[in-house]
Amino acid sequence: MAGLNLKNLYKSFGAVEVIKGVDLDIDHGEFVVFVGPSGCGKSTLLRMIAGLENITEGELFIGETLCNNVEPRDRGIAMVFQSYALYPHMTVYDNIGFGLKLARAPKEERDRKVREAARMLQLEPLLDRKPGQLSGGQRQRVAIGRAIVRQPEVFLFDEPLSNLDAALRVSMRQELTKLHHDLDATMIYVTHDQVEAMTMADKIVVLNGGVVQQVGAPIDLYQDPANLFVAGFIGSPKMNFIEVTAKTVGKGEVLVQSDVIGEISVPLNSDRVKTGDKLTLGIRPHALSRSDDGPFSGQVELVERLGNETVVNFTLSNGSAWMAVLDGDEPLKLGSEVRFSADVGAICLFDAAERRIR
Amino acid sequence: MTTVALDTPKATSTPKALRKDLRYPSWFYLPAGTIYFILFLVPTVASLYFSLTRWTLFNSTFIGLENFQQFFREPFLFQSLINTVIFAVITSGAKVVLGLLLAVLLTSNIALRGFLRSVVFFPVLVSVIGVGITFTVLMHPTQGLINTSLEAIGIDGPGWLTDPRLALFSVALVDIWRGVGLATVIYMAGIVSIPQDYYEASRIDGARPIQQFFLITVPLVRPAMVTVIILSFIGGLRLFDLVWAMTRGGPGFASDVMASVIYKQYQAGFYGLSTAGNVVLFMLIACLAVPLAIFLNRREVNQ
Repeated sequence: MAGLNLKNLYKSFGAVEVIKGVDLDIDHGEFVVFVGPSGCGKSTLLRMIAGLENITEGELFIGETLCNNVEPRDRGIAMVFQSYALYPHMTVYDNIGFGLKLARAPKEERDRKVREAARMLQLEPLLDRKPGQLSGGQRQRVAIGRAIVRQPEVFLFDEPLSNLDAALRVSMRQELTKLHHDLDATMIYVTHDQVEAMTMADKIVVLNGGVVQQVGAPIDLYQDPANLFVAGFIGSPKMNFIEVTAKTVGKGEVLVQSDVIGEISVPLNSDRVKTGDKLTLGIRPHALSRSDDGPFSGQVELVERLGNETVVNFTLSNGSAWMAVLDGDEPLKLGSEVRFSADVGAICLFDAAERRIR
Repeated sequence: MTTVALDTPKATSTPKALRKDLRYPSWFYLPAGTIYFILFLVPTVASLYFSLTRWTLFNSTFIGLENFQQFFREPFLFQSLINTVIFAVITSGAKVVLGLLLAVLLTSNIALRGFLRSVVFFPVLVSVIGVGITFTVLMHPTQGLINTSLEAIGIDGPGWLTDPRLALFSVALVDIWRGVGLATVIYMAGIVSIPQDYYEASRIDGARPIQQFFLITVPLVRPAMVTVIILSFIGGLRLFDLVWAMTRGGPGFASDVMASVIYKQYQAGFYGLSTAGNVVLFMLIACLAVPLAIFLNRREVNQ
């Protein structure tokens, strides 16, 4: 039973530093999702854990073992690739049993394990097929089967659902969550899709530019983002931002001002803000509601009426694009002026260094 | 090309325009078809006929299968047929194996990779006659560089091209040296098209490099291997220039292959006999290479 321990990990490709000092603890049995935009280093970090990339600096513990120089096969891990990487010349049966065959497992044991995994993943009728004859979802399950039979301590998933269509992605997401529950293994999952992260993770690790931005439960990241990046990345549609200036700092609140939105008083329990500070105000689209005297006004650019809710894209007078998600059906006209107010408790403020002011 | 507007009902009601449109591109066959007809079909059919005759440039006498009988009756002629097969099997076998090993080496992360790639491919670019002459000099029994080098370390080098038991194999060796570069390049194209994911997945599955070679590289490079086998086998069966440049089939008839024998008969004025030899060579290649290609390609489809 193994958790993981990443201590000050660095990775450079030549002069380019990709991972810049990652510290992370992962408990046994956790479902951890690395999320971030492309090029943020999340896949590299996963490959370092897998042993497919060397660790430039720092220490990687899997369980109690320092794994920096341990071969991938001896790390007690299994990995599911974005491309699935199923061996095209082998049948499903041989693909799943490949690792066991290499480990010289007795034939009966191999057969039993392969069939057990196949049963679990409903692959039994497909065992004699080659990967080329399978659909995307079936290939995905074979790749997972190949991981399961190794009985690893840690499962690594590198964007495994990105090649599937939307409907299949939703059902595979549920299957993976169920699998995690059934196997009681540690799983590390890389994705750029924050919906996958929100729905599957026990713990999300948000990465940007090779640096961990925030680690926490999905709902904590949503409700309590640590910085501007996390606030903008987690949540869909993304948070609206506007630059403001702190006009007067009072006890427990700050009056912020901008030409676009006028003045708003925001509750604040911090002494970090001084009068005249440049701040960024953030508000989620769901926290906006229509109001004829609200501070946020703009011109309607696009209205998506979904029946149960209405997504409104509008432009503020300074040109920045905002979104509002309104309950129910709101038949707004394109090009019309619209005003919104917000629950002040839902407003986030960020300082000039993009850190959240709480 | 003029286009027929398929979305208007008018187009379907004017088959004349449609037919004209279809006929138009078929004229493009003509130049290639003419060249193929004159340079391939006519000579092939003509050689089938002339192989049944005794002929000169101006007249021919039909003599039935006599040329073929003579071809198989003369021991040295028949020996050339055996030599041809031996030569083709040895050279293509060596190119298939060595080419793969070199390609694996040259696609891995080694120092001077680009330089070594050109070194391996270089012999392919050199004139065969030049190669033949150079190696004839190198393989000279007493003054050749190979034997003088061997002598320096105390080994009495054999007569590479003068020993009747060795001559054919010496030529084969040079042909391998010359042809392995092309095989390597074909293999390299095959190897680099294998996604890196398979190697990473198998590494996690516990495969060591040697297992990766046999369980991943070899099966997945199969299409390239089929190409190399067929090309080098047919090339080996048809080989003429290298044998002619190095031994002229000698000593005696020891290194004669079909092509050199045919040429000798032609030089000597036995046009009918040499044409019959050509037909035999054609049949030999067809009978060996076509089933081989069918067999190899069928396995590939089954994959």
